[in-house]
Amino acid sequence: MTKVLKLDKGANDSLKDLLRSLLESGKVKGVVTLGRTGEDGTISYSLITNPDHLESAMPLFPLMPVNLGKQLSRLTLVEAAGEPIAVVLRPCELRALVELVKRTQGSLDNILVISSTCGGVYPLEMAVKGNIEEHLPEYWKAVQQGELAPNTRLACQACEYFVPYTADITISLLGNKAVDTEATFFLNTEKGKGTVEGIKGKFAEGELDMATIERIRGKRKAEKEKLSDQVELKNLGIDEIAKTFSRCIGCRNCSAVCPACYCHVCFFQTETSQHGPLYYETQLKKTGCINMLSDTTFYHLVRLFHVSISCTACGQCADVCPADIPLWAISLKASEAVQGAFDYLAGRNIEEGLPLTTFVPEEFAGVI
Amino acid sequence: MTDIRKGASLPADGGAQKGIIDFATQALRQGAVDAVLIPRRVTAGDSFAYFLIRDEAFLKEASPLPPIMPVQGARVISSITGYGRSKTRIAAIMRPCEARATIELAKLSQVDLEYVTIITMDCPGVIPLSDYFEGAGEGDKLFEDASQNWSSEPMRPVCRICDMFSASGGQDIHIGTLGTRNGSIMFTANSPKGEDLLNRLGMSAEEDISGWETRVNKLIDERKKERKQNNDALRAEIEGIDKLAQAFSTCINCHNCMRVCPICYCRQCHFDSDNMKFGFEDYLTRAEARGGLRIPTDSLLFHIGRMLHMSLSCVSCGMCEDACPTDIPVSQIFTLVGDRNQEAFSYVPGRSVDETLPLTTFEEDEFQEVEQSYAAVSAGQENYNDQGIEVRQGRKR
Repeated sequence: MTKVLKLDKGANDSLKDLLRSLLESGKVKGVVTLGRTGEDGTISYSLITNPDHLESAMPLFPLMPVNLGKQLSRLTLVEAAGEPIAVVLRPCELRALVELVKRTQGSLDNILVISSTCGGVYPLEMAVKGNIEEHLPEYWKAVQQGELAPNTRLACQACEYFVPYTADITISLLGNKAVDTEATFFLNTEKGKGTVEGIKGKFAEGELDMATIERIRGKRKAEKEKLSDQVELKNLGIDEIAKTFSRCIGCRNCSAVCPACYCHVCFFQTETSQHGPLYYETQLKKTGCINMLSDTTFYHLVRLFHVSISCTACGQCADVCPADIPLWAISLKASEAVQGAFDYLAGRNIEEGLPLTTFVPEEFAGVI
Repeated sequence: MTDIRKGASLPADGGAQKGIIDFATQALRQGAVDAVLIPRRVTAGDSFAYFLIRDEAFLKEASPLPPIMPVQGARVISSITGYGRSKTRIAAIMRPCEARATIELAKLSQVDLEYVTIITMDCPGVIPLSDYFEGAGEGDKLFEDASQNWSSEPMRPVCRICDMFSASGGQDIHIGTLGTRNGSIMFTANSPKGEDLLNRLGMSAEEDISGWETRVNKLIDERKKERKQNNDALRAEIEGIDKLAQAFSTCINCHNCMRVCPICYCRQCHFDSDNMKFGFEDYLTRAEARGGLRIPTDSLLFHIGRMLHMSLSCVSCGMCEDACPTDIPVSQIFTLVGDRNQEAFSYVPGRSVDETLPLTTFEEDEFQEVEQSYAAVSAGQENYNDQGIEVRQGRKR
């Protein structure tokens, strides 16, 4: 049983009220969440310090314009937050941030983490087309029922890790029949409990309905199998890999938006990775024809090598790919295999060392 | 347009693209070049890429004018010659904007043109990448139908307003295809290197090209009008910091525009460097100044900075807009800014490799109207120029 706080408005409004109370009372100096930042209704994340600006906040809007875990790592890279701030993150964004903190790319100091049992987000292109608003009623109905919301990111429809692991406060959304009328905040940590002391609301004991959670997880697993088949992931040998990435234009946008890709200068931006005239002369003699978008498959395989241990399958990569390559599916498959081999789940626990940098004497004896 | 009045005609009964491939095949076969750089369908069939080809057999699947531009050709030349020239003589067959970008990169020491012969052709434009990839295989036909009639309707927005789609500078040879007669295509040499190649292939300039020139000039005039219209309309929409911020309001600061841009060659962009990574205290202070700070931060600064750095060399190819995941009209905005900046210096990027970059060329008599007058400064009127016009908001010393 966990201590819970109940507020008597729907989830979105209750969360807004909670954030406002935290800011107005001075318990936090800033809040990071989604909101309308443009006159044309553009929705982005922002760091809000003036409580009045929370009027335009939309903390649970189903959109991930950028991975907030990556952005928070950027904000806390040079120095940790010196003042308390509250952030609203999706479970995958939170796991990404935890992975980045493990790699000294950011800090969770002074950050109060609020997350939710997540129903997914819509692809970026729907925000660009302005289509999301009209889908909202259908979205929240699906969340209430614990069903898959149609048209959401495929990565979200296939996601089994929609319950946050390390949040201070978790707002119950998925499968919560009362999500439109009453908000239930699980106060998971001492920090969470301490911060909401004095907030006007009903305190009680409660727990997530695990039966519902497992049912939803089952649906997501089934959807994942179905979608994997659709992108033909089962027989992913080298020929299939080359075919999958044949449309790649080498823009590296997947790497730019990925939280796990944090290198300030990627290997593929360095001189080492580039070819001199001798290379081209030799290749030309050997094969008679060179694809000048060289090392495309190589780049993707190396990227998978490097990130799959920390990939949280957020799907940001696929959203920004100009060539519509189903990167989310490939990353998901690779990350499940790699993390599974180490019994590791990216971002589950900040104390859990990164497998690739943790020496365990008895490991993979079968391949030594 | 060039002063050449005659060109070499080549029969092209199978269409312009096949004619160009035949020319490339001859060039390889006769040893006039060692390799041809030309777009070709990728093995999986769902896209195109530049291929460096030595064996003429691979030219059969070549596509000199593919429906899309996945990679800007100038970048390809830079990756081949960026680390020094190789003695492989290459005929690079590219679109005019790719040739112009190549010339700009040569001025920036990113490309070595010694053994590269640049060959361009009249270009009908390209279809946006997203339209092609989401078009369920219809993209090829869409492009073919439009380009037959030189209809630019399905093309990139900046292709529709392009007035430099023909021989626009920097190329050694240009291939005219717009309304050429009798199913033939017209070759004009624009440099000694180009003349040399045509001579080696026994192609002598005997045809009168004035008919083709007239058709091209007519289309150029139409496009110039469209360009001015687009620029004027866009200017009204984005003028001033508020409107500019609005135009970039959906920007997620992914920097994809920068990475696909041929002119943006910096290994690490200033805006990806430590210079742009601030302490949390800085961000909080900025947030407190206005009550909130949009995340990702500094995206508008990135765009303005990029404009400052490359707009004088912007060839309006449109790669940036194609690559933007949130459909910002980046290339239209950069075209507007680029056109104005370039005009101020009477500079046309890519027109000639001998024309130096304005920002690195000292000219004594330049922009005097914004200089402060020495006499005025001495007289304590430091904000006025020689004509007595105020040039700067004063700061008390």
